[in-house]
Amino acid sequence: MAPDGISLSGVGKTFSGRGKVVEALRDITLSCPKGSFTAIIGPSGCGKSTVMRIALGLETPDTGAVRIAGKAPMGAAKAGETGVAFQDAALLPWRSVRRNVEVPLEVLGRPIAQARDHIQHMIELVGLKGFENALPGELSGGMRQRVAIARALVTHPQILFMDEPFGALDQILRRQMNLELQRIWTETGSTALLVTHGIDEAVFLADRVVVMHANPGRIVDVIDVGFDRPRAPGLFSDPAFHRVCDHVAEVLHGG
Amino acid sequence: MAADASGPWRGLRNTAILLLIWEVLGRLDLVAGGALPGISEILIRLWIDWGDYPRHIGATLYASSMGFLIGNALGIGAGVLFALSPTALRLFRGVNIAVFALPPIAIAPILVLTLSGMAPRIALAALGVYFVTMTATVIGLSQADSRATDVIRAYGGTRWEILRRVQFRGALPSILAGLRVAAPNAVLGAILAEFGGGGRWGLGAYLLGSLGRGEPDRLWGIGLVATLIAGLSYGLFAFLAARMVGSTRAVTLNTAVPDAAPRSGHPLGRIALTLGTIALPFLVWWAFIKATGVPDLISKTPWGVVEYLFLGPTAESAQPRLLAALAETLPITFLGMAAGLGFAFLLAISSRLFPRAIEAFMPVALVTQTMPLVALTPLLVLILGRGPSLTLWVTISVTFFPAFVTLAQGLALVPRSAEDVPRAYGAGRWTEMRMVTIPASLPYLFAATRLTVPRALLGVMIAEWLATGKGLGNLLNQSRGFLDYGMIWTVAAVSVLLSVLFYQAVVIVERRVLRRLGMATAE
Repeated sequence: MAPDGISLSGVGKTFSGRGKVVEALRDITLSCPKGSFTAIIGPSGCGKSTVMRIALGLETPDTGAVRIAGKAPMGAAKAGETGVAFQDAALLPWRSVRRNVEVPLEVLGRPIAQARDHIQHMIELVGLKGFENALPGELSGGMRQRVAIARALVTHPQILFMDEPFGALDQILRRQMNLELQRIWTETGSTALLVTHGIDEAVFLADRVVVMHANPGRIVDVIDVGFDRPRAPGLFSDPAFHRVCDHVAEVLHGG
Repeated sequence: MAADASGPWRGLRNTAILLLIWEVLGRLDLVAGGALPGISEILIRLWIDWGDYPRHIGATLYASSMGFLIGNALGIGAGVLFALSPTALRLFRGVNIAVFALPPIAIAPILVLTLSGMAPRIALAALGVYFVTMTATVIGLSQADSRATDVIRAYGGTRWEILRRVQFRGALPSILAGLRVAAPNAVLGAILAEFGGGGRWGLGAYLLGSLGRGEPDRLWGIGLVATLIAGLSYGLFAFLAARMVGSTRAVTLNTAVPDAAPRSGHPLGRIALTLGTIALPFLVWWAFIKATGVPDLISKTPWGVVEYLFLGPTAESAQPRLLAALAETLPITFLGMAAGLGFAFLLAISSRLFPRAIEAFMPVALVTQTMPLVALTPLLVLILGRGPSLTLWVTISVTFFPAFVTLAQGLALVPRSAEDVPRAYGAGRWTEMRMVTIPASLPYLFAATRLTVPRALLGVMIAEWLATGKGLGNLLNQSRGFLDYGMIWTVAAVSVLLSVLFYQAVVIVERRVLRRLGMATAE
């Protein structure tokens, strides 16, 4: 159906540990066309991060099929078609900011010397100019998270996965990063999947908001967001924007 | 069928194959003209000798368990104190390093001279345990996730509250890993003291009595029994640790830069602290001699050693003997240590890359490595002869075990999220290892190096004492025979000082490297 985007069909996953079996995901079917922006929203523990980990190939589903850009998840990862920013910045504490941003290139075996300017550009894009040689321990939480974003973008990914990437940022920076992300996403034309807690963030950025409920983790509704692009900061105070947000909140809280 | 046999079955199968090879080699006298008897010959001999064993085992078990209890009580108590008070840690640094660095073989004759009965054995077993447990406690307590301690502090938690709620629980795997290494150490300590101290009962005494009689099957029997005791004590704590480590593994990588070493305000205070650190071990030495009340002729105070080596009429003959011994001992110590560490590092890394291959190799490694060194050496003498290759192998085997345990533990603690990033880009095991696991294990590599410095010296000295007739170990043994008390104390003091110097050198390099990488020292 969407050979170039993200497609999950009938994905189920159960975890067993400490004698208990937990059904984390049940029959997740989701397809994100190429170039679309999809946000997954849901309460803590509804399995939204697991959906992403499965799409990344970090977990294997018990049932169902996953195709990323027409390939198996790990195949897409090895081809360098995916980029990822985790909830935890997950920086390597012994590497400087620049060297952390280089990690994906190193793993993919791409030349780093030629990418110098691009790496510098990514660091400047997330507003960390002057911190290239700082160690993660010397940065604030928000700055670390921005390093993680730069790292996710450094490979020019076709598919961009983000697991609550701005969760640790303050509201002002978050808005700013949302605008930046929209710009970057428009420029790169990548397919984006964003896992988030923030309703306004989801509605502002996404073409479609996927709402999940827990126990077992499942998709309860997919809400289309039709605002024109590029979306300006003024949208945040638009009554139409608030109507969509209220609708998402209703579905989210079991309405 | 065999291909998909699960863990324990494969282990059993591999062990059976090894035993079979051993039996064939032994029965046909293929190794060093019968130095390695078949396993059945050893067991038959063990059966015949069985009447002798209970009292020997009883004596060794008594001394090592008393030493284990006392050493651990002191070690954990001191570890908590040091974790709470950096000043105490600094002040006792000299004593700790000295306790850690003293090669038991050098101390055994001294303890026998100054204490009586079972006391030397218990003391040596406790000394072997104290440092390992103390360090493990401090490491465990100080490496607690600073984010978790921040949570407690944010709710107004006191230092004790942090210790109780976060640090103790977080330190458990580390302490258990410490006990795991300490348990065979206690057995080794007790046997060493039996070996160097006379007395009728104990596996060490039994071994010594059987050494001259050229009966490989009996020596192997005693070695097996000693190994079994040490191995069981290791296995007990390995089992406990395995049950607890899973649930205390950090889920994310802590990126907080370690606090700079706290400096006491006044420069005079700092100088006083440093002087105290250096003086305290000598003070303890002096107090120990005064407390035991042994005459000056036999027991030498620090000043007594200086007099013997530099000032008295003995100086002229003592100095060249000591220098000649050092020239023989030091090079082979370095070589053995480098080889042992390298081997441990490779094996620890491979245990992540090829878990199944290592799983099969592990029982063999554990058995050979929990074998108390003194029991192992006579057997190695039978196989390797009395040349330098014996010294080298003893040294490698004695450094390898603790280094491997330290490293494997370090690698097991690498957080999941750090590995997720390379994996999300399709990194293979090797790339993940190179980028995350190896750098993250650096603090443990340094800790392992520090841990093995004195062990290497111990290994060399034991081999020299028992077999090769060279170097410091031999000098110590000879001086015992000649009742040259001055030289006994001198060799003991010099070997401890040497260990301390090596150790300090490693610490300096470690601090520089880790500080640059923004990592915490595993102390």
